[in-house]
Amino acid sequence: MSPADIRITAEPIDTGRCKFLVSEPVHAGGVRRFTSPVEAQGSPLAEALFAIPGAEVAEVIVSGNLVTVAKRSPAPWQAVGKAVGQAIRAALASGQPAVAAPPAAAAGGGNDDSLYERVADLFEQQVNPMVARHGGRVELIDVQDAVVMLRMAGGCQGCGMADVTLRQGIEGLLQQHLPEVKGVVDITDHGAGSNPYFAAAKK
Amino acid sequence: MLLPTATYRTTAFVTAARRLAVELTVASEQPSTFQQAQPDRLLTLPFAIPERAALEAQAFATRVPVHGVVGVDDDTAVVAAAVAAALGLRGHPLAAALAARDKHRQRVLCAERGVPVPPFALYATTADGAALAARVRYPCVLKPLRLAASRGVIRADDPAGFTAAWQRLTALLATPEIAACGDWTRQVLVEDFVPGPEVALEGLVTGGQLHTLALFDKPDPLDGPFFEETLYVTPSGLPPPAERAIAACAQAAVTALGLTEGPVHAELRHNDHGAWLIELAARPIGGRCSAALRFADGASLEEVILRQALGLPLPLLERERTASGVMMIPVPRAGTLREVRGLAAARAVPLVTDVAITAHPGDALVPWPEGSRYPGFIFARGETAGAVERALRDAYARLDFLIDPVA
Repeated sequence: MSPADIRITAEPIDTGRCKFLVSEPVHAGGVRRFTSPVEAQGSPLAEALFAIPGAEVAEVIVSGNLVTVAKRSPAPWQAVGKAVGQAIRAALASGQPAVAAPPAAAAGGGNDDSLYERVADLFEQQVNPMVARHGGRVELIDVQDAVVMLRMAGGCQGCGMADVTLRQGIEGLLQQHLPEVKGVVDITDHGAGSNPYFAAAKK
Repeated sequence: MLLPTATYRTTAFVTAARRLAVELTVASEQPSTFQQAQPDRLLTLPFAIPERAALEAQAFATRVPVHGVVGVDDDTAVVAAAVAAALGLRGHPLAAALAARDKHRQRVLCAERGVPVPPFALYATTADGAALAARVRYPCVLKPLRLAASRGVIRADDPAGFTAAWQRLTALLATPEIAACGDWTRQVLVEDFVPGPEVALEGLVTGGQLHTLALFDKPDPLDGPFFEETLYVTPSGLPPPAERAIAACAQAAVTALGLTEGPVHAELRHNDHGAWLIELAARPIGGRCSAALRFADGASLEEVILRQALGLPLPLLERERTASGVMMIPVPRAGTLREVRGLAAARAVPLVTDVAITAHPGDALVPWPEGSRYPGFIFARGETAGAVERALRDAYARLDFLIDPVA
């Protein structure tokens, strides 16, 4: 595939975090999260993203067609985003997997697997029955290094109060019931939400 | 944090609270589905009845300590003032917040204290529009007393224009959604049109003293007949004496209204007669526009506001050195949004830092004056205000809104 055929849309969340929606699948094997260049070794895309000069990339999450990049640098996404786009295009054009499968230790059990089960149970027993009242659904995507990755759907996707649901509701429940959870990352493409429960309408 | 469910401001304020490591309780006018599970973090308050909201907040505070309260729009600014008074917290006095929310009361207080405001008169919606058209002065502007985002604001240049504008505005005020909001929907403010460039002043009031955080030029002339905003660019290109006159006018309005502690957002005009106050609200800038502002150490406007409300040390209230701007994307035409094309091209424009489409496919797009919802926002930063303005216009030109006609 030619790099020119790959379409990438950048969606900055704030100055520190930006989602990149790619027209082609980047990683079909679930979610991979990298928090350092060492963790990125063996995954060409993640290695390239951590190596972007001046960006001070702190975290890379790859799932399906979505690449989420967090950086420490105050550099605008308009500049960093071009380098991210080049890295994604180069990784996909190489014909090699952009992201390696998780290491056997991480894939084969351990604390995250156990935590995943308990988070999944909390989502099914408490979180989803609650958001279902507004036509929403929250999918547990993965747990890596005790960080929960989730995706919102239905009435939650694109909802004006999604951040309140996430931080005041879901994160609060996780802190209460599973204090070993270190963080929650929302990988939802909220811009694609077609039926948000609350839509921003006032200036 | 008082967050109406229809606000654009949720992410910015929740993010700011996290950056400051502030424990947040979010109150909205409709219950969150998590409220029962997280009763310390989520609360429902009747925003339409500030006194009752304050009593309920007082009851909440007996269980969960509350150290500060912040509202984000005209209505929650009033509720925040009521809660602040009830709990002894920092904030604008309730009477001042109420006066700022009501365009007529605001003008009365300003005029009494010599603040330059356009000559104005108040009429009941039951009045005979054709009869009024014969006696008002032209050009004039008809306004509802409260609606946000210049919704319902119409300029009239002659009696025929006035009659048409009167019918249009009174019909809007009579729609069930708006008529249910209170007695203010049964009145219309008519004031002289003030010519001259319009600016927006973003400020923070401390001890009654206004500190200007940013002065935005509005490069697209706002001459009517409708007043949908588009471009905001800062720093202003007005000469320093004009900027000083504008700041002095805004300070005079702050004093006239009795605002003492909290954010303000003012719209002013400047012409040969000096600065004129058009509106002053006891709240921060609306929409997603605050993302155009950044202060010392990268602090956002929301962080500044939260710090003030909590009595935390404020950062240096100097905006970043670079020019910055935002375009509130105009509604191209009435209809149902199907798709927005050209996003990648718009985001690729040099100096453009973000293009945020806030309308969703399937949403109804309603042009001004009946509408009040922008389909999105474009942001840019650069060395000069002129370069920022060009980037915003260039990015906008690359967007293509596919809209299905109204059935």
